[in-house]
Amino acid sequence: MEFGLKPLGREKFWLWALLAPTIFGLVFSAFGALLATLALSFTRWDLFTSPVWAGLSNYFDLFTDEKFLKSLANTAKFSSLYVPGVVIISLLIAVLMNRKIKGIGLFRTMYYLPCVTSAVATALVWNMIYGKDTGILNFVLTHIGLQPVCWLCTDHAMSSVIIVNIWGAIGEGMIIFLAGLTAIPREYYEASEMDGASGLQQFFKITLPLITPSIFFQTLMSTINAFQAYDYIYMLTRRGQGDSSIPVVVFSIYRNAWHFNNYGGASAQAIELTVIVALLMIVYFWLEKKLVVYE
Amino acid sequence: MKKVLFSLATVAILLLNACSMLPGGTSGKTEISMMMWGDPAELDVWNQIVDDFESANPGITVNVEVSEWDSYWTKLKTLLAANTPPDIFAIDAPYYLDYQSKGVLLNIQPYIDENPAVLDGVYPQTLTAYQTPDGYFGLPRDFQTIVVFYNKDMFDAAGLPYPSADWTYADLRATAKSLTLDSNGDGVIDQYGFATDLWDMELFWSSAIWAYGGDVLSADHTRTLVGSPEARQAWQFAYDMMFVDKSWADTTTAGQYGGDLFLAGKAAMTTIGHWSVPSYAEAGLNFDVAPMPVGPARQATSVNSAGFVIAKGSKNPDAAWKFLQFVISPAAQTRLAEMGFACPVLQSVAESPIFLKQAIDINQQVFLDSLEFAHMKPVFKGYDEWAAVIGDGMAPIWAGEDADLNATLDDIIPQADDVLTNNK
Repeated sequence: MEFGLKPLGREKFWLWALLAPTIFGLVFSAFGALLATLALSFTRWDLFTSPVWAGLSNYFDLFTDEKFLKSLANTAKFSSLYVPGVVIISLLIAVLMNRKIKGIGLFRTMYYLPCVTSAVATALVWNMIYGKDTGILNFVLTHIGLQPVCWLCTDHAMSSVIIVNIWGAIGEGMIIFLAGLTAIPREYYEASEMDGASGLQQFFKITLPLITPSIFFQTLMSTINAFQAYDYIYMLTRRGQGDSSIPVVVFSIYRNAWHFNNYGGASAQAIELTVIVALLMIVYFWLEKKLVVYE
Repeated sequence: MKKVLFSLATVAILLLNACSMLPGGTSGKTEISMMMWGDPAELDVWNQIVDDFESANPGITVNVEVSEWDSYWTKLKTLLAANTPPDIFAIDAPYYLDYQSKGVLLNIQPYIDENPAVLDGVYPQTLTAYQTPDGYFGLPRDFQTIVVFYNKDMFDAAGLPYPSADWTYADLRATAKSLTLDSNGDGVIDQYGFATDLWDMELFWSSAIWAYGGDVLSADHTRTLVGSPEARQAWQFAYDMMFVDKSWADTTTAGQYGGDLFLAGKAAMTTIGHWSVPSYAEAGLNFDVAPMPVGPARQATSVNSAGFVIAKGSKNPDAAWKFLQFVISPAAQTRLAEMGFACPVLQSVAESPIFLKQAIDINQQVFLDSLEFAHMKPVFKGYDEWAAVIGDGMAPIWAGEDADLNATLDDIIPQADDVLTNNK
C-alpha cells in the first residue's frame, strides 16, 4: 500500500523539521511516561525513598486486592453499557440530523454543546437534577404520583452516571457519524427508492453497512474513553479522600498513588488497564476484518 | 538577510533564557520558600506575618505559596520526589510521621537545644504530636479542638435552652430530636437537629468512642479498637440518631446541600473546629459554641494541630528555623488569633482578649477549656490508608443504604489491622 506523495530533496528536511516537535513530545512525554510507569510497576516506591525492586509482586497483589477487583468490575460494567449506548444513540441522532430541516444547525449545536462545556460545571447541574429531596427529576416523579428515587445512591449510581456520560459523548459520536453519512453516495438511495425500498430497508441495507467504518472508529474511541472515564463520575459520586460510591479503575490508580503513597501498585494497575485496552483493540481489529465494509 | 535575522533572534532568545537561569537574588539576600494549604483570606494573614518577619529580619525574603487542601498534598509530594521541596511547608499532625519516617524532614532538635526557651508557653498538648525519639522535626502553629456549634435562632424558635457545659450524649440526642422539624408536613424533613461528618474520625466518632470508654487504636498503633463493645455503643448512638430518630441527616441528604447542613441553615447543631467560624459568620448564622457532651465514661473531644516543618534538603535551614521560631512568637500568634481560623498555640495569646474577644462574638473560651478533656488525634504511619478503610467501609451505612452496622465493623477491622501491620 502506498499513501500520498513521496517527499523529495529539500522537502525531506522540512518534513522532519515540522514533525520534530511532535516526535519530541511523544518520545519524551508519552512514551517516557509509559516506560517510567512500566519500570515503576516492578518496584515498591513511596515517592520519597528510593524505589525498591519488587519483581512481579505488585501484579500478584492485584489478584487479591479487593478494592482493585471491585473497581475493575465497575469499569467493566460501565464500559459494557456506555460503549453500545454511545454508538447506538449517536448513530440514531446523526441519522435524524442528516436531513434538510429548518434550524438543523441549531439542533446539531445543541447536541454538540456538552462536548465543549466543562464536565465539572455540567456535573453540578446533573447533581441538581438527580438530588434526592431537591432534585428536578424526583420533583417530576412525585408530581405524577411515583415514588422518589435515590439516583446517586449505590444501587442506582452506576446507571445514573452512565446516562450522564453517554449524554456528554453523543455530540462527538454524532459528528463522526454525520461525516460518514454524507460520504454515502446519494445514488444508492435514489436507486433503491426506484426499486421500492422503504426507509427502514434503506437504513439496514444501505446506511448501516456503508457506515461500518465510522461505527468501528466510534466503538474504538468510546472504549478507550470508557476505560479512562473520571470527571463526571468524580463529580457525581465522590466521597471522602478520593473515594467514590462507584470507584472505577482510574479512582483506584489515583488513590493508591496520591493517598496511599503506593506508586508501584498504582503503576501496576495503570499498566494492567493499558493491557486490557490493548487486548480489546486487538479483538476490535480482528472484528474489523470480518465486519467492516470498505467501498 | 532573513537568515541573519533568524540567527539574531535565536541568539537573543538563548541569552534571555540564560539570564533567567542565573540565581535570582543578589548577594547578601537569603530567599526561602514556604508552602501551605488555605484559602485566600488565610493567605492575606500569612502575607502580613511574612511582612512582620521580613522587617524584623532584614536580608531574608519569604515567598509564600498557598494551595487548597487536596492539591496541596499532591503538589508537595511531587516537589519532594523531584528533590526541589520548599524550605518550609505546612503539615497536618496525623500525616507528620509519614513524612518524618521517610527522612524528608530536617531534625530541628539541635536548634531547640541551643535555645530551649523557644517552646516556653506553648500548650504542651500541641507539642506532643511533633515529638519523636529523635527529637522535634516540626512545630505546631495552631490547634483545633472539636466543639458543638449550635444555631441560636433555631433553639430560640423551639424555646429550648442552649447546651450547658456538662450536657450528656442523652441530652444531645433528646435536643436534636426536638429540633428536627417537617414544618410543611410533606414528609421531607426541613430542619435536622444535628449533622456532622462521619467519614474521618476527627469531627465526631473518635470523641464519641472515647466518651463511651473505648479507644480508636492500641497505644502501640498495632491494633484497631473501633470494634470494642464500648466503641460499638458509640457507633450505635450515631446510627440511632440517624435512622431511628431521623434527627441527624445521612450523607445522601447532606450532599444535596453541599455537605455541611449547618452552614446551609438546615441543621440546628454540628460538631466541628474553629476553622468553620468565619464561614458560618459569613453565611449570616446566629450561632455559639458548647463543649462536646459527657459520655457514659467521660467527657472527651479531639485536638489536632497544624504545624510547619523544614525540608531536609533546604539550602537555608538557619533562615527557615528563624521563621519557624517567629511563627510561635507572640507577634505572629497574635496575627493568627486575629485571623479567627484557629486557636493560637501560645498560651499567653490564646488566653488574652486578642483571642477571647474577637469580632465574631462567640464563647471562644470553650475551645480552650476543651483541651482539658481532649485526646490527641492519633498520629501514626499509614494514617491515610487506615482512615480510608474505616471511612469507605462505613460510608454505605451513613449514606442510608442497607448495610448492617456490626457486620460492617467485623468486616473492616481486620482490613484496618492489615494496613497497620504493613506500615509498621
